[in-house]
Amino acid sequence: MPADSPSTPGDHLDAPDAALAAAVADDGAAPFDLDGLAAEVGATRSLLESVERAGLLMAHHLDADGVKRYSAADAQAVRAGMTLLDAGLPLAELLDLARRTDTAIREVAHHAVDAFLRFVRDPVRGTAGSDDEATQRLVTAYEQMLPATERLVAHHLRRCLIAEAAQRVDAEQITGEPADGQEPAEGRGGAAR
Amino acid sequence: MKLRVRTVTLDHRSPLLDLSPVHDAVAWVRDGEGLVGWGTAARIEPGRGADRFVSADAALRDLASDAEVEDHVGLPGTGLVGFGSFTFDEAAAGSVLLVPRVVVGRRHGTTWLTAIDPVGADPAPDPAPQRLPSPPRDRPRYAGSSKPDVHWLEAVATALDRIRTGDVGKVVLARDHAVWSREPFDPLDLARRLTGRFPSCHTFLVAGLVGATPELLLARSGDLVRSRALAGTAARGKDEARDASLGSALLASDKDRREHAYAADSVREVLGGFCSDLTHDPRPTLVRLDNVQHLGTAFTGTLAAPHTSLEIVAALHPTAAVGGSPRDTALALIRELEGLDRGRYAGPVGWTDPAGDGEWGIALRCAELAGARARLFAGGGIVAASLPEAELEETRLKLLAMQAALGATDDAS
Repeated sequence: MPADSPSTPGDHLDAPDAALAAAVADDGAAPFDLDGLAAEVGATRSLLESVERAGLLMAHHLDADGVKRYSAADAQAVRAGMTLLDAGLPLAELLDLARRTDTAIREVAHHAVDAFLRFVRDPVRGTAGSDDEATQRLVTAYEQMLPATERLVAHHLRRCLIAEAAQRVDAEQITGEPADGQEPAEGRGGAAR
Repeated sequence: MKLRVRTVTLDHRSPLLDLSPVHDAVAWVRDGEGLVGWGTAARIEPGRGADRFVSADAALRDLASDAEVEDHVGLPGTGLVGFGSFTFDEAAAGSVLLVPRVVVGRRHGTTWLTAIDPVGADPAPDPAPQRLPSPPRDRPRYAGSSKPDVHWLEAVATALDRIRTGDVGKVVLARDHAVWSREPFDPLDLARRLTGRFPSCHTFLVAGLVGATPELLLARSGDLVRSRALAGTAARGKDEARDASLGSALLASDKDRREHAYAADSVREVLGGFCSDLTHDPRPTLVRLDNVQHLGTAFTGTLAAPHTSLEIVAALHPTAAVGGSPRDTALALIRELEGLDRGRYAGPVGWTDPAGDGEWGIALRCAELAGARARLFAGGGIVAASLPEAELEETRLKLLAMQAALGATDDAS
């Protein structure tokens, strides 16, 4: 959720849309400022600042003093990134992958929300007998659809990763060692991993 | 050791690199001209220290003092020449000045061959009757870095802190990739591909260090000297309009102009001390290469007193394009933060003759090849407006370009 998004639904909305906006607001706890987040995950502040400037870490919200707050889920996401670093993925490559993911996911998110508004909300608003009924049907649909969509996307990503890996490992088998048996490596190639 | 040196014209139109009969040649070529050599008449290892340049110079003059030279061509680069590659850091070992057994050269359309024979030595190999075939290639495979790049990012952030406190104005931080391959890397083949891809750069190859640099640290011909400082970089556009707009944005960018000014000022200050007159571009111009465009400033001057090209190189190195400004503070910061032995990366590379004429570049965009292993390097100039993640991305793209040049396919991108 972008830091500048409204934390309370606008009162210009009618009841069903206001209820939907409240459901979307995701006002879960955000216990960390940036230093707290860095301490929580064992990263440096400057690393998180770089990742945030790259658009890949977004504050949960701004508090009353204008300080960026981060949630436990944000901390989990940063930890997941650090797991990839620990496994040997260079930071520069991780950031490149993250930018690509961001671009792809934003497009999917745009179309997913568009589909929800046109094919779920619009029919509910056109057919519900009362505001109460519309509110209940909208909030229920949203609360069911958000985790279902997450599961679908995560599952598909996992399937694609596995299929790609299977194909690439097979196509790009590495047989044997580097072909420099005759030459001393001079300690140059074996840099720290 | 007594040398017999003989330069004669050579009736040959082939690219100079195609004349080498060995894969481990030495080279300094640009736009089809330059010098390529093979075999070893002498290997001068000047050791460590700030005097490594003048030590190598003196050793070459010693060789020349005992040489019989018969030069039927008389152009810069004919007669006895040495190909040099010096370490970035004066405390590092590994600087070398190689005198080949055979040098082929071309200048203003004239091609020549110089044979450099130690008395009593076996005959040197003749030029190859036809271009050596390209050996099979695998792709370069990542083996690790001297410093994990998450720590390199922290180093850039620390450098920015020092810049903010006013300790230093600009510092260049580099990082490396070690790579391996299932086939040995071929220095000659890589040099040939680099000349194809970067015809306007100087392609160099000295003792396994191979690359292509657009920068000219110093050229001396008699009492005339030239230099071209480059710093400040943008991408090339996919079409002309985009390319032009990226170029004008680069010319207008405060951050890039400041980064460039440090590099150009450091060259002007040093050359100004050697020259009775020194002229340069009034403002930076765009230097466009295959994959990037740079801000460049060209200098020309007349030496006030005789100095060899290596004496001037010793004073110029390291310019702010590879060290920083102020120089000593920047070098101390590089030693503290970089966590990398630069070796001969970012050091002077080129050729000289015993009279002191020569051409020297800075070994950027290069790889240090050793059999089926190699080290690739990339760096970025950190100034006040730099962002660590942008510097990391810039070095990632530079490393990718070099990996592509080393790669299994010719469609490097």
